[in-house]
Amino acid sequence: MLELRKGGAEPVVRLLNVTKRIGRRTIIDDLTFDVPQGEVFGFLGPNGSGKTTTIRMMVGLMRLTSGEILIKGRNIRSEYEAAIRQVGAIVENPELYRYLTGYQNLLHYARMIPGISRERIDEVIELVGLSARIHDKVKTYSLGMRQRLGVAQAILHRPALLILDEPTNGLDPAGIRELRDYLRHLAEKEGTTVFVSSHLLSEMELMCDRVAIIQSGKLIDVRLIRGGAESGHRAEVLFEVDRPDAASAALGAAVLRTESGGVVVSAGREEAADMNARLVAAGVRVYGIRTVTKSLEDQFLEVTGGGRID
Amino acid sequence: MTDFLRLIQNENMKIYRRVRTWVMLAVTLLIPLAIAIGALALDNRPSMWTYAQIDIYATSWLISTFAVVIAADIVAGEFSSGTIKLLLIRPWTRSKILLSKYIALLLFVLLFLAAFFLFSLLVNGLLLGFDDGSNILPADSKWRSAFAYVASYYGFRLIEIIVTVTLAFMISTVFRSSSLAIGLSILMLLGGSILSALLSLINKPWVDYILFMNFGLAAYLDGGTPITGRPLGFSLAVLGGYYAIFIALSWYVFHRRDVAA
Repeated sequence: MLELRKGGAEPVVRLLNVTKRIGRRTIIDDLTFDVPQGEVFGFLGPNGSGKTTTIRMMVGLMRLTSGEILIKGRNIRSEYEAAIRQVGAIVENPELYRYLTGYQNLLHYARMIPGISRERIDEVIELVGLSARIHDKVKTYSLGMRQRLGVAQAILHRPALLILDEPTNGLDPAGIRELRDYLRHLAEKEGTTVFVSSHLLSEMELMCDRVAIIQSGKLIDVRLIRGGAESGHRAEVLFEVDRPDAASAALGAAVLRTESGGVVVSAGREEAADMNARLVAAGVRVYGIRTVTKSLEDQFLEVTGGGRID
Repeated sequence: MTDFLRLIQNENMKIYRRVRTWVMLAVTLLIPLAIAIGALALDNRPSMWTYAQIDIYATSWLISTFAVVIAADIVAGEFSSGTIKLLLIRPWTRSKILLSKYIALLLFVLLFLAAFFLFSLLVNGLLLGFDDGSNILPADSKWRSAFAYVASYYGFRLIEIIVTVTLAFMISTVFRSSSLAIGLSILMLLGGSILSALLSLINKPWVDYILFMNFGLAAYLDGGTPITGRPLGFSLAVLGGYYAIFIALSWYVFHRRDVAA
């Protein structure tokens, strides 16, 4: 589970045997994983699986019962101020001071970290697209605008690690899209590591490089999402054909299953091209070829045993 | 150090950028004005100093109440609005964040009382005429001036208000409920005087160690005592003891607490 990224860069976050017990209930059970530098790292699990609790421990809002959390090598318990300085976060909803203006809210957080200039505040406001309404009171903001302001307060101090808990909650599709693009921009262009939790599988698939799956407080799996379909890697490929039975006969053992409009085979990139030639030679009309990536949802259901997801 | 001042600046912003703070101040300042206007109808114009005393005597419960509202909200309000999470995840220890809140609260109390004092003197002076106030001092008085006398009254009230708001601050921090903090503190303020009259009938020494039995410090000004009949040092020691407990509990709980939900 402890995989260092190529080049051996130090992971931005390390969780080591993190456990949280409340009374006799074990909420988080021996979590260990690393979040590599510069990735968008998804933290996926059904509601109540312990995502938010883990995040609260990562930012020092809750104590660990046992284990260690290191942020850029600083222990969140013993070196809190140094560790948290690297972090920007929204924990659950972006709850801001409703009776203050957006600008006053940002000023409030800016004052808490040395070295944030007025120019930086203006830059961030521009970046999240709130310039027109920044001097209005937050109580007049829509949820989408509060999300933007939440992101603004989180990135003010250019944190190495951005933690977002269920960031797409309550956003409309355009807002989700925008957030996704922005997070990818942060990771790719600014080298910010983004740690994002969600129970929305499809969202995570589009956003993340890597996903850790958690259920009932236990880590189930860490999966690479991007760069998973490299050459040599076999994938499920669907051939859309006019006569699936004939196609199946022509391809033989590679066929996984036959569907109404085509056949699904297991093949690498080159193999798929060869198969196409064979099909054409056999007089089967091929209308389309595409990889059927098993969606994260399927994988998720697979590893969590089809547990309730809501 | 300047960085810490910025935390206090933040807390001040959260107090004074709210309309309710200014409504409280306006309502409080209306009282000396109303009383002084009422005095104009009297045949014998009383001294401005007599009225300065009446003002604080009549209004200190209201000032305490408003200060308690601020104290009750300053921590619990962050919890109920959820803003506590974004406040705590900054490179500051919880103790320092709580300290910045407490200092902002004390500044508010001082400011409120000082504004009231000055306004009361000004209004009474303008409406009733400025005078040196020698007439309000008892004949054999050790007091040099009316100002010193009234200011000392404010000083004693200040001590009581600080103990009261610290109680509210503690409840606010420990129970994260501003309504509970307001309720209990006001109950103690208003019910305290009635209860202490009843409790004083119990002829046991432990009664004197109850918090509100030691309120009413202003009695010492005229050579009297609060209901306990004990000397000033005793009253201050009891209040100081409670104060230390309130502070210790607030910091302990705030430092340890898991911030969930």
